[in-house]
Amino acid sequence: MDDDQSAEETAFVVEEVSSIVKESLEAVIGRNPYEHKRVNQWMSSVVEQCLGQLSKLGKPFKYIVTCIIMQKNGAGLQSASSCFWDNTTDGSCTVRWENKHLYCIVSVFGLAI
Amino acid sequence: MDEDQSSEETTFVVDEITTVIKEAVESTIGNSSYQHSKINQWMSSIVESSLSQLTKLGKPFKYIVTSIILQKNGAGLHTASSCFWDNSTDGSCTVRWENKTIYCIVSVFGLSI
Repeated sequence: MDDDQSAEETAFVVEEVSSIVKESLEAVIGRNPYEHKRVNQWMSSVVEQCLGQLSKLGKPFKYIVTCIIMQKNGAGLQSASSCFWDNTTDGSCTVRWENKHLYCIVSVFGLAI
Repeated sequence: MDEDQSSEETTFVVDEITTVIKEAVESTIGNSSYQHSKINQWMSSIVESSLSQLTKLGKPFKYIVTSIILQKNGAGLHTASSCFWDNSTDGSCTVRWENKTIYCIVSVFGLSI
C-alpha cells in the first residue's frame, strides 16, 4: 500500500494531466471563433494555467507544455515528437481539442528530476 | 580554460542545435511539395535524425524534439511553449523553415540530467 502510494506520487499520471489541460482549454477558449488578435493571449493563458496547475501537483518533475492553435481552413497539419529520456520515470500526454472554428493541440512532457 | 571547456560540454548550445535541425529538415524535405502521403514519413525522419544527431553530441541531457508540418494554405497557425525547469542548465531552440508549399517548425528542448 505504501509502495503504491509513493509510486503514484512520483509517476507521470496521464489522466490527471489530461484533465488539467482540458479544463484550461475549455476555460480559456471555450466556443470562441478564431480571432487573430486574441490568439496570442489565449495561448499564453492556456500554457500558463496548465503549468501553474501542474506545478501545484507538487511532483518532482520538470515540465514542458507546448500549444498549437490552428484555424479550421482546410490546410493539412501534422505534428510529431520524439523524446530521449528515462522510460521508467518520464512521460508525455497530448490533448487534441477543437471547436467549430479552430483546432488546438496541447502536449505536456514531464521529466523526473 | 578548463572551466570554459567543461561548461560548454554541459550546457545547451543553441547554435549547434540549430545547425543540426536545419540539416535534418533540408535533407528530408528540401524542395518537395506538400504531399499528404509522404508527410508521416518526413516527420518521423526529421525527428529521428535530429534526435540521433543530438545524442551523438554526448552531453548529459534528456531531449524532446517536436515537429510541425503545415501546408501553405492561408490558415492561421500559432504555437507557444512554456517550461518549468532549471534555468541555469536547461534550454530550448526553435527552428522555422519553409519552402514554396510547406512550413516546418521544429522545437528542441534539452533538460540536464
